[in-house]
Amino acid sequence: MKKLIAITLAVLMVFGMAACANSGSSDGKTKVSVFWYDAKDIYLGTVRAALNKELEKLGFEYDTQDAAADQATQMEQIKTAISGGSNMLIVNVVTSGAEGTAKDILKLAGDIPVIFFNRAIGNDGKDEAVLNEFKNSCFIGTDAPEAGHLQGKMVGEYVVANYDTLDLNKDGKISYVMFKGQEGNAEAIFRTQYGVEDANKVLKENGKSELVYFDPEAKTNYQVDQNGQWSADAAKQYMETNLISFNEANNNMIELVICNNDGMAEGAIAALQAAGYNKKDSAHTIPVFGVDATDNAKKLISDGAMTGTVKQDAEGMASAIAQTAKNISEGKTPVEALAAVKGEIFSIAKSCASKLYVAYAPYTGK
Amino acid sequence: MEQDVLLRMVDISKSFPGVKALDKVSLEVKKGTVHALMGENGAGKSTLMKCLFGIYSKDEGHIYLNGKEINFKSSREALDNGVAMVHQELNQALKRNVMDNIWLGRYPKIGGIAVNEKKMYDDTMAVFRELGIDVDPKRIMSTMPVSQRQMVEIAKAVSYNSKVIVFDEPTSSLTEEEVEHLFQIINMLRDRGVGIIYISHKMAEIKRISDYITVMRDGQWIATEPADKLEMSDIIRLMVGRELTNQYPPKTNKPGEVYLEVKHLSGTYNQLQDVSFCARRGEVLGLAGLDSSGRTETLESIFGIRTRKSGKIYLDGREIRNHSAGESIKNGFALLTEERRSTGIFSILNIRDNTVISSLKRHKKFGVYLSEKSQREDTQRYIDAMHTKTPSQETKIRSLSGGNQQKVIIGRWLLTEPDVLLLDEPTRGIDVGAKYEIYQLILDLANQGKTVIMVSSEMPELLGVCDRIVVMSGGRVAGEVDARNTTQEEIMTLAAKYV
Amino acid sequence: MINPVKNIQRSAQEYKLLDAKDKKRYWMDGILNNALYILMAIFVICTAILRPRFLTLDSLGNLISQVAAYLPLALGIGGCIVLTGTDLSAGRVTGLTAAISAVLLQESGLSNKMFNSLPAVNPGMIFLALLAVAAIGALIGMVNGFFVAKFSLHPFIVTLATQLLTTGVILWFFDLNGNNGQPISGQDQMYKDFVGGELFRMGRTPIPMYVLYAILLTALMWFIWNKTTFGKNMFAVGSNTEAARVSGVNVFWTIVLVHTLAGAMYGYAGFIDGVRAGSVSSVSGMNAECDAIAACVIGGVSFVGGTGKISGIVLGVLILRIIFVALTMLGVSPAALYIIKGAIILCACSLDMRKYLVKK
Repeated sequence: MKKLIAITLAVLMVFGMAACANSGSSDGKTKVSVFWYDAKDIYLGTVRAALNKELEKLGFEYDTQDAAADQATQMEQIKTAISGGSNMLIVNVVTSGAEGTAKDILKLAGDIPVIFFNRAIGNDGKDEAVLNEFKNSCFIGTDAPEAGHLQGKMVGEYVVANYDTLDLNKDGKISYVMFKGQEGNAEAIFRTQYGVEDANKVLKENGKSELVYFDPEAKTNYQVDQNGQWSADAAKQYMETNLISFNEANNNMIELVICNNDGMAEGAIAALQAAGYNKKDSAHTIPVFGVDATDNAKKLISDGAMTGTVKQDAEGMASAIAQTAKNISEGKTPVEALAAVKGEIFSIAKSCASKLYVAYAPYTGK
Repeated sequence: MEQDVLLRMVDISKSFPGVKALDKVSLEVKKGTVHALMGENGAGKSTLMKCLFGIYSKDEGHIYLNGKEINFKSSREALDNGVAMVHQELNQALKRNVMDNIWLGRYPKIGGIAVNEKKMYDDTMAVFRELGIDVDPKRIMSTMPVSQRQMVEIAKAVSYNSKVIVFDEPTSSLTEEEVEHLFQIINMLRDRGVGIIYISHKMAEIKRISDYITVMRDGQWIATEPADKLEMSDIIRLMVGRELTNQYPPKTNKPGEVYLEVKHLSGTYNQLQDVSFCARRGEVLGLAGLDSSGRTETLESIFGIRTRKSGKIYLDGREIRNHSAGESIKNGFALLTEERRSTGIFSILNIRDNTVISSLKRHKKFGVYLSEKSQREDTQRYIDAMHTKTPSQETKIRSLSGGNQQKVIIGRWLLTEPDVLLLDEPTRGIDVGAKYEIYQLILDLANQGKTVIMVSSEMPELLGVCDRIVVMSGGRVAGEVDARNTTQEEIMTLAAKYV
Repeated sequence: MINPVKNIQRSAQEYKLLDAKDKKRYWMDGILNNALYILMAIFVICTAILRPRFLTLDSLGNLISQVAAYLPLALGIGGCIVLTGTDLSAGRVTGLTAAISAVLLQESGLSNKMFNSLPAVNPGMIFLALLAVAAIGALIGMVNGFFVAKFSLHPFIVTLATQLLTTGVILWFFDLNGNNGQPISGQDQMYKDFVGGELFRMGRTPIPMYVLYAILLTALMWFIWNKTTFGKNMFAVGSNTEAARVSGVNVFWTIVLVHTLAGAMYGYAGFIDGVRAGSVSSVSGMNAECDAIAACVIGGVSFVGGTGKISGIVLGVLILRIIFVALTMLGVSPAALYIIKGAIILCACSLDMRKYLVKK
């Protein structure tokens, strides 16, 4: 009996692996490999689904790899894909904010074109240096500061319009918390900075006092996912902890929540709802802002549990990547390929011809 | 008469790759009798029992219980059908208490969920009273001496209303007094009509307790006779296949001047109190006493693996520290521990690794490198010298019989070239032939001028091998006797002095 | 003494003596005992049929360099497993030492160099950095070993604690000198060449220098495990701590040293990882111990303690990397990848464990 089980296991394993493999392979065609930094990322999941659809539609042979948030793993995946015959790489780097990684990837790639997307590849978000040095590369992403600016403006306008309802303890100041997705990530840094700065700008123009960080003792004006995963879980845990010492009973309730992404906004909302806020029958709703406009976030906004987000167009991003891939496979250089991408929400960066931005848009469900 | 036969095993065969462990062995156990199963280690007694309990699946043969053919798949199934075994090496949940162990797997329940602790306690007490066992059912197993744990095992068998109970070497870790108690229990079980299979090496016991004797040798059935028809010498002849007139080799060693002196030894975490004695070069000194009288603790304190509160050890007149095993080995001490499985062998390692572990520095080349060749030579030397039966040096030690494991460990210690050998129950669980070899070895060591201190629960063994015997009682030295002109009674009296 | 020809002859003779039923069992056992290797062979063949490039020199070179990269961690952790323990801090120690070596050996004149006062990188500094990170790893390992040995704490607990402690140090380190948690890149070319420089090429794949170091390290570990008192003592302690104590083995130091050695190996792994991914971030090396432990266990270093071989660890790492490379080439989805990896570890270990179970 034991032996039977062992053999069954063994046979299942082999067939399982064979079945999982994409069938067929023929050299000469363009073979695309897409590298994702972490399959667990919510926004990127939407992009992935859309991109897979687009690539299929365009008739590409492609495969996808998940680095599970480990740059070393991604490196090995890229090496393996190259030795396996891939001739176009679409890369969502794990370590964002240090150009060494992108440079090493491009060195590995040699002549193979590399389309980076979503996560910035240069030092401090300055991707131009790398892109200019390697002509076989291009970057499709968003103008990192833009999301922060849009979010900040949205927050500011909302706070001005609802100042008195928001100021729960009537001290004339709005206390906020900021959840940062990852330490050292360019997008996260900009969103953390402008999400508050721009809001304050709007407040000042309207003669209101600036936002105050909820914890006067804190060393930093944000709480960050220590694992760098922009996770709902991290935000939920922070928020739960915060609410223990900062609440209406102590007259120091957090009156505003700003998050680097919608995942973290979801986490914060879960904690608020557990404490009796942001539900249909709650006395108060603490405004929560995110970025990405994921399906979940849209639902929360329509339910009234969340206030606003910045739409990062997942389908648009996927479409831009697929179009670029198509253009390159037809013989265009990356710069030409980007220039030929069609769509209103796309624009070539002013600083660099091999960088394409997908525009953000504020989203409040209206 | 046929209906009196409880258990019948007919033509049982079992082979392992390359070895025929059992060859058409038959055994009949009648109601209300004690049937002794004898044979040297490796004769196939344990294998036969393992086939009965379904631990091994037999290749051929049939087993009948009350005339019905049975084929147990596990010891649990056997237990449910009234066939129980009290193992030589007790497999118990040591961190749990006594009653948990007895009712394990069939706890009485309240409403099918909660364990009925009260019923468990009462039932345990009832069985204990019946058997005359004085143990608190709530005591944790690991805090009890081996003898009491064994009683628990017997109580467990009784609590299953077992019709057949197998005792595998039940007295190997018991003192004389405890053996008496055990025999009372066995006699009681016999009177209730239980069939008992009694496996032991100890001739005297067998003669006293059993009704029938079956002798096995090399996996084969040799003879089955009523016990009163067989003389001890007959049994030995049947077992070893040759005459064995003397159980002990002639004593030729000549004790010299005092070599080791132990003065006022007391333990921090044990009952040792002011233990003093001395041992001479070329002398075999016995340590006698009841179980938990402090004999093992004395040896282990001298060897530095138990903490001493006070006391001094002198070697050749010089004071030595012996604060750790490593230090003691450097000072020329060696300790053969009582519990071979838990503190002696490295079961998963091979014979060679087990042999050389304490003498690795002998094999060092260039400061770090250990020479394979010299390890192999050393190991082979002691395999040959001790007549260890093993297929190769690479064989894992756990696949050897107890006696052969013991020889490997003795070899390990001899390789450290010790001057003082501390032997704790050196012949426990070892068959007659191998025992003789170990006695011979002890005397040879004494002849070479080494000091041997040996703990044993077998009185005749101490009288046969030692020069002097120090008797311990309740952690203290109760007296010292000359082995040549003392009696078992004198020793027993001393052993009870501080109890 | 050991004559392979004679051995085979003897086995053949023994085989002839077996009856039909036993012969069937003989083959069955043979297949199951080697099931892992048979499975791997089938797996390799399947992959090669679906993806012919899998069995090219290029691909083989890639595989070799991957094995070399993941081997040091497994070699270190193997010793802890022999002691029936484990080490959860391995990945984070690698991450910390990777960050330290990357910072020590950053290019001079780099705009975002963390410590501008560090001199320009020279060969001496590379060795010094290697020694430094190995020493830092060893120190953390020693802390692990000390608590395990002194207080008889289970290594799972102790190393879980040091994992957290190390993570704290990493986060603090990445915030030093206004770095604000930024990843560290711009490692000096000399450092890059020392680690990743081309040894030779297999097909188009360059074989990096660290393959050579991995071979040397494996040889060293084999020597330590098999030919030194320390190695013998390690197996003895892993097999039966009490018996080892009685036999005069210094159990305390053996445990401390096994962990220290493991830590030094993580330090070395960090030194390599400082270059391998182009940059080092505060999450580098996270969970790396999982793969290392899996490799050891697949390679027969049993949690039972006292068993394991260096060759087994190399094989375990190889098997894991083959699976990784094959699945990457086959382009299975991320979800399937996790499922397959889990299933393989489970199957491989169950099949392997059969060997250690006592046959009845």
